Amino acid sequence: MLSSPSPAPSGRSIAANALRKAGLMDRDRDERMRDASDKPGGRKGAQKSTQRARAHPHRPRAIDAITGKDLPGASNASRVSMLASRLAAGDSIAIRGASKGTLGRLRRNAVSGSTSADAATESKVISLWKEFVHRRWNPEAKFLNLERMAEDDYIRRNALVAPGAPGSTNKEASVIFKIASKLTPEVETMSLAHNNITSASTIIGLPRYLPKLVNLSLEGNKLRMWKDLDYIAGRRGRLENLRELVLTGNPIREVEYQNNRVDQYKSEVARRFPSLEILDSEAIAKIAFDVPQASTSTALPAQPAATTFPCEMGPSFLTGVDGSIISNFFMRFFPLFDNQRSALVDAYHPDATFSFSANTAIPARARIEGYHHSKEMPNQRKLEWSPWLLGGHGGSRNLNRMGGGVEKMAKTLHIGNQEVVKAMSDLPKTRHDVAGAPEKFCVDAFPVTHGDSMHLFVTVHGQFVEEPAEGIRSFDRSFMLAPAPEGSRAKQSGWDVMILSDELVVRAYSSHEAWRPGPMRVQAGEPFPPSASPAQLPPANAQAQALLQEALSSIPEPQRSLVMQICQRTGLNVAFAVQCLEGNGWDLERAVANFEQVKGTLSRDAFL
Amino acid sequence: MTNLTRNDIEIATRAADHFTRLYYSTYDSATRVDDLPKFYRPSSALVWNGKPLQGSDGVRKLLGGMPTTKHDIQSFDCHPIPGSQPPSLMVIVSGTVVHGKGPAGNPPSTPSKSVDGQPRVFSQTFMLVPDPNAPKSTTGEVAKYYISADAVRFVG
Repeated sequence: MLSSPSPAPSGRSIAANALRKAGLMDRDRDERMRDASDKPGGRKGAQKSTQRARAHPHRPRAIDAITGKDLPGASNASRVSMLASRLAAGDSIAIRGASKGTLGRLRRNAVSGSTSADAATESKVISLWKEFVHRRWNPEAKFLNLERMAEDDYIRRNALVAPGAPGSTNKEASVIFKIASKLTPEVETMSLAHNNITSASTIIGLPRYLPKLVNLSLEGNKLRMWKDLDYIAGRRGRLENLRELVLTGNPIREVEYQNNRVDQYKSEVARRFPSLEILDSEAIAKIAFDVPQASTSTALPAQPAATTFPCEMGPSFLTGVDGSIISNFFMRFFPLFDNQRSALVDAYHPDATFSFSANTAIPARARIEGYHHSKEMPNQRKLEWSPWLLGGHGGSRNLNRMGGGVEKMAKTLHIGNQEVVKAMSDLPKTRHDVAGAPEKFCVDAFPVTHGDSMHLFVTVHGQFVEEPAEGIRSFDRSFMLAPAPEGSRAKQSGWDVMILSDELVVRAYSSHEAWRPGPMRVQAGEPFPPSASPAQLPPANAQAQALLQEALSSIPEPQRSLVMQICQRTGLNVAFAVQCLEGNGWDLERAVANFEQVKGTLSRDAFL
Repeated sequence: MTNLTRNDIEIATRAADHFTRLYYSTYDSATRVDDLPKFYRPSSALVWNGKPLQGSDGVRKLLGGMPTTKHDIQSFDCHPIPGSQPPSLMVIVSGTVVHGKGPAGNPPSTPSKSVDGQPRVFSQTFMLVPDPNAPKSTTGEVAKYYISADAVRFVG
């Protein structure tokens, strides 16, 4: 009998191939599996069990569900913890939910149309994970309990590599999270406790697949470094609703506690998850807003959105304050800021705050206009961001870019007039031409109540020349000003108002045309809002005008502007314009196109 | 005035982070007309591109006539303003906003060099203040804040 040089592919080696192909398993694991199946008498048995598993993958044994839960220490989370207690309470339900879930829901993977054996096995591996997820899923509690996966009998029996187990990559977890993302109702609570996770890079897929997770336990893992946690830190659209997090039992927490750095620990975590309310069963101090709840936000938009702006760009807006106070302030402030920053020390309240931040993004409109390479501004390319990113005693305070740096966040806020002036003096020298080119500046100012007193809320937008490059930058600067009390340093130095707070944003140059007063256009080719200038209406006699205005007045915004535009572009009267728009889903271009098709068939009374 | 503590600064920063995410995702949502006014009170003062508006109703009216938006925040900063306890916050945001369909909504004849439909740079500054009358809803809540003043301009 000739011995075959390589054993015929057993079910298991096909599975191993598929796993490796799918990136779910590395070579070592493959070797170990081969070893196991090469044991005398072992291969046959393994093959059998694999075949059985394949034949009846959805037949759960009650014992499996229980063994998963009946592990040493599984219930040691009995400390007073909201999530922890919910997790514990969920255990018994989880078993029920899991077995129930596997009955109807488990199907072979949708890839079953494939004819390739590998693909079939690959889909089978995913099916195995699917069954596992459904076993651990408690739909009533919206709770997916993925504790101690490596110890689960089901995982062992099916030779799956659990996330965090030796030989695992971040793929296994991503597969699980992807499956979990399709569960209904949506997963709200997840426990990944006791999985030997050493870096959150293992579970990097979590924010992507389950962005709306509310409660997460990572208890009893081996997270050690802050950067480990950064992989799952809340970002825009990712884990923005995370309310409760458990990190108990991870070195990242325990080491900080041992070193009496509890406050630092808490703020480092809270910085990464701004929505967090409870950390390790303790409430986090935070400021709340009247957040629109996702569940109430199901109402359909009542009307089509407007296609024009509701108002024109207005000129500088000042109210509740004598304009001369503001102009005197700036006429003195900016020259001193340009030439002698230290002299501003008395303009700031002794407890004043100042910070600056750099928005280094390239503005789209300015790029199209070619300002970066124009002959008129030859020095734009010489400008560098480094003096703003690194200068000014701590650098830019762009909190959008600051990651988890609590230290930097504190260091870049300059408190007290001496500190403020010191930080400002380390910034690039500037020239603000407030006297020579007032159109290049735009100010909005109005009073606000603050505590028991009235303050002035002032924003100014404009541009300055930055030395030594001689290039031009744009800036936005917001101030909180208070009247300078008699006898104060500010008053004695001739300031009517003093600065409580000063926030400066420096950004790449954009033209001051942006705030030139007048109508603004949303899309090219559109007429400017007709409400702004009735002269743009099609010529018609006064009576027709009056009728049109009357007909229009009964139509709510934003439909009205659409109707106006249709009237202008087609000459249809209001009633027909409304019909035309209604027939085309209130889409202006479709309505116009439709009109062009049918205009020959319309009777005279369709028109104005 | 009281001195700011490190804790004040941390809470303020976190609040600004949370606030900016919530505010602009609400602004860009289909339910903005109902939801965005909730950040304001009847007494709030707003200035939209130089046009003054009053309170939640003003916001509702403004949004009722606003094209759809997509905001992208590029930088933000926040100061706690001493003088009240807990402190008021001044938040400055810089970013871009696309209105309507953006460049894709321009007619086909539009020259490629047209700025119409392109993102506009905006600058928005908020004054956030604690609402002494709002019931606290969660255990760790310092206070519920709302927008008492808001000034926004297109600046590029």
